[in-house]
Amino acid sequence: MYNKVYLNLILYLLAILPLAGQDCAIRISGTVLDEATNLPLSYVNVFLQEPGKSTTTDEAGLFYLEAVCKGEYHILLSHIGCEAEEIQIFLDRDTSLTIILEHTAISLEDIVVEAKRNNYDNQPSLSVSRQKIEENLNKTLSGLLENETGVHILKNGGGIGKPVVDGLFGNRLTILNNGIPQSGQQWGNDHSPEIDPSTADRITVLKGTNAIAYGSGNLGSVILIEPDKIDRETHLHGGVNYAYETNGRGNNVNVQLQKYSSILAWRVNGTLKKYGDRKTADYFLNNTGSQEANLSLQLEKSWNEKVFVDFYASTFNTQLGVLRGSHIGNTTDLSEALNRKIPFFTEPDFSYQLEAPKQKVFHHLAKLSAKYFKDETQSVEIIIAGQINDRKEFDVRRSGRTDIPALSLRQYTFNGDIKYRKRFSGLWSLEVGTQNVAIDNTNDPVTGIFPLIPDYFSWKSGIYSTLSKPINKLTLDLGIRYDYENQNVVTLNMDLSQPVRRFQNNFHNFGGVLGLKYRLSKNQSMTLSTGYATRNPAINELYSMGLHQGVSGIEEGDENLEMEKSVKTTLDYKWLPSTKFSLNALAYYQNINDYIFLNPQDEIRPTIRGAFPVFKYEQTDAIIYGLDISTQFSITNSLYGLLKYSFIRGMDTSNDIPLINIPPNSLFGSLTFRTKKSMRIAKIKLEQFEFELNNRFTFEQKNILEDQDFAAPPPAYNLLGIKFSTNIILPKNKIRFFTKVDNLLNVAYRDYLNRQRYFADDLGWSLTTGIHFKF
Amino acid sequence: MFINRCLICLLSLGVLVFSSCEKDEPDPINQEELITTLTYTLTPADGGETVVLSFRDLDGDGGNAPEISGGTLSANTTYAGVLNFLNETESPAESITDEIREEDDEHQFFFTSTLPGLSFIYLDQDDNGAPLGLSNGLTTDNEATGSITVILRHEPNKSATGVADGDITNAGGETDIEVTFPVDVQ
Repeated sequence: MYNKVYLNLILYLLAILPLAGQDCAIRISGTVLDEATNLPLSYVNVFLQEPGKSTTTDEAGLFYLEAVCKGEYHILLSHIGCEAEEIQIFLDRDTSLTIILEHTAISLEDIVVEAKRNNYDNQPSLSVSRQKIEENLNKTLSGLLENETGVHILKNGGGIGKPVVDGLFGNRLTILNNGIPQSGQQWGNDHSPEIDPSTADRITVLKGTNAIAYGSGNLGSVILIEPDKIDRETHLHGGVNYAYETNGRGNNVNVQLQKYSSILAWRVNGTLKKYGDRKTADYFLNNTGSQEANLSLQLEKSWNEKVFVDFYASTFNTQLGVLRGSHIGNTTDLSEALNRKIPFFTEPDFSYQLEAPKQKVFHHLAKLSAKYFKDETQSVEIIIAGQINDRKEFDVRRSGRTDIPALSLRQYTFNGDIKYRKRFSGLWSLEVGTQNVAIDNTNDPVTGIFPLIPDYFSWKSGIYSTLSKPINKLTLDLGIRYDYENQNVVTLNMDLSQPVRRFQNNFHNFGGVLGLKYRLSKNQSMTLSTGYATRNPAINELYSMGLHQGVSGIEEGDENLEMEKSVKTTLDYKWLPSTKFSLNALAYYQNINDYIFLNPQDEIRPTIRGAFPVFKYEQTDAIIYGLDISTQFSITNSLYGLLKYSFIRGMDTSNDIPLINIPPNSLFGSLTFRTKKSMRIAKIKLEQFEFELNNRFTFEQKNILEDQDFAAPPPAYNLLGIKFSTNIILPKNKIRFFTKVDNLLNVAYRDYLNRQRYFADDLGWSLTTGIHFKF
Repeated sequence: MFINRCLICLLSLGVLVFSSCEKDEPDPINQEELITTLTYTLTPADGGETVVLSFRDLDGDGGNAPEISGGTLSANTTYAGVLNFLNETESPAESITDEIREEDDEHQFFFTSTLPGLSFIYLDQDDNGAPLGLSNGLTTDNEATGSITVILRHEPNKSATGVADGDITNAGGETDIEVTFPVDVQ
């Protein structure tokens, strides 16, 4: 924030007019304007630091400083209601300045945002910065988070992946895109979240229990994908980011344009990606390419410093290939595929071609939010949003039906939220809100296949309140929430006459959290939080019926499932003894009663396609607990180290067996050489030069029984990577250049959470090179 | 007061936006790709009683269990076998056999048996001259009790080692059909 203001000031030195002058007789004149109104600001204190001269602006916002010597100076500007700002200037002649100050009244929104950020501080979280997002243009949202502590990816090949945070994913993990809960077919383990991470300026993972304000409290973590407010920059600015990746021969391009004016501020963001067959260490993974085209538009407008309105619309369109050799018929095919070193259908040649099996998905979002600032302590926000999610999955079928989707689902979602925030004296803050979601999910009968999940309409209304109060060294966070959900479901039965059954389900959910943050000392803090929440059985858990081709099993829901009840406790410890060392440790323990999971049955059911194992959604009591530790340290002034370790266990306590799909433990380390000074190579000036060596070791998942899965978990593996990035300074512009190698040693490995592991190795080495140009 | 007004706003939104809504009834699914019925008709080459092995599962994968009926073959006899497939959810029942024949280069049948000495041969080919198996020959050995399994692979690798001779090991592809019939040889 302060950086931005500082930059703005530099940029707003609109006219440094050279006028005649002599040494020590230089005259500085200037105008100070209010950024919001563009009107002159009077009574601004102007202080020229080095000689210690000061003056104030007059009613026209003008100031003069006489008899200044040639040299470099700092000017300090302060004004009631503004933060003191400092600008740096070199004087060698008479100079005229135009300075635009950001007034506090305008920053009300920023204060609220700040307050929200502070809330993040009160609970365990991690975030990914814009620079990291830009340097990982080739990654999906999940891939971007891959090396973060406690985050794992449930994959289905190279391009399909969903994040797993502290052991929870899918229906148990909330993803907020621009403040709106992402609504798609999250139940499918092979369904990626339909979000373009390039639209975000920051991705935050909240790992505590404070998720209560962010949606139907399931005590899972929350992933926030947030663009910043549009910079108050009246010129057209933007950036172009391009990256090429050798594995998959992928081209990625992202373009961002933005312009601010007091009438309307806008930002446009577009991304195109195209990948072909990816490759393991030894062979191509045929039909694993992908294509993506995304566009987003952000508009902002404010009226009288009191009303702030923003509009956001995005469209996400993707086609994802699925490894041909992983598409199998019955269990005989599966066991045959499991015993092969190289999957069936592996071809020696690379191709961009995408054929069945594949997924074709689009997701559109439109959101309008209005904030009204009653005064400096109170605000109301109204958000309405609509989403359309369309998913088509294509299988290899007979008689030209391959072009007809085998699964086709369209989901419409409507969100309506109102939030009221108030800050009291003594830094108390209160938030009260309501969230309402209506979902309409329909199968397209064009598939000619009985749908795995039925058509339904559901709506959910919730109210919540959070309170934060600092008491000396202690900060208290309290939250309560109530939700009502109604599910209106129609199922088609498989009998010849296809009889229809209707279900009406009503659920009442109560939840609450209590968080205590205690400052042990100036550089140590401890946060203990505990929360209770319930999660309603999802439609797939209640009514799935039929063959799930992707997992070669017959899945049956249970209409009598009850809601999951969960208590989660986290203990977070932060220690920053100096700028050279920091440590963060998070321990969590989650108890889930009536945990819903897919349990393999003893039954093998004959069909014309052979025998299939039967899985049923059942409930048990489960615990998930773990430890995330990360530490950063500087070895010398320009050499930094980073270590992250995550340990996690999941147990079915009723049957005393492990839970399936719990991430194995992992250890990540990196060494970064970074120079703050600029350097010259030949005639090119380089800045912010960085070289990183990183290594991820993933342990074998030993906490699983043999009969719980089709194949034993793969052995531990180690991946080495390097990354190099620098700014290249051109006469008028800067270019950021980066290049990195993943899986440097071209290790052949399989990952426990990648479903493709049954059939093929994971990705081999890959070199990615990119440039980012900003103007 | 400001807070009160806001609270009223908050609470009323839920009521305003949503009213109870019934989801429309879904259109029936036309499962035209489904294979409900398989008949394997075995006619003795030298005359005698025709044996029909059949599989019938009208509600498709999952749901009710299929009806499978086996048969009794004569020992040391050669039969001409003909496979026939129907989708009986359509009215009139649709022949899937024709569909398979139209895409014969993408399909191949395989036969396995637990009966000692039982052998199969292909009596038809696809457009490329590779075996298909809708029409086949079966020769029994001595008396025994066991089963015959009929497998249809979609998109097998027909040029892989042994596949042309009816060995499924290297065939790959997906299993579209895999049905096992109890069979006695007397």
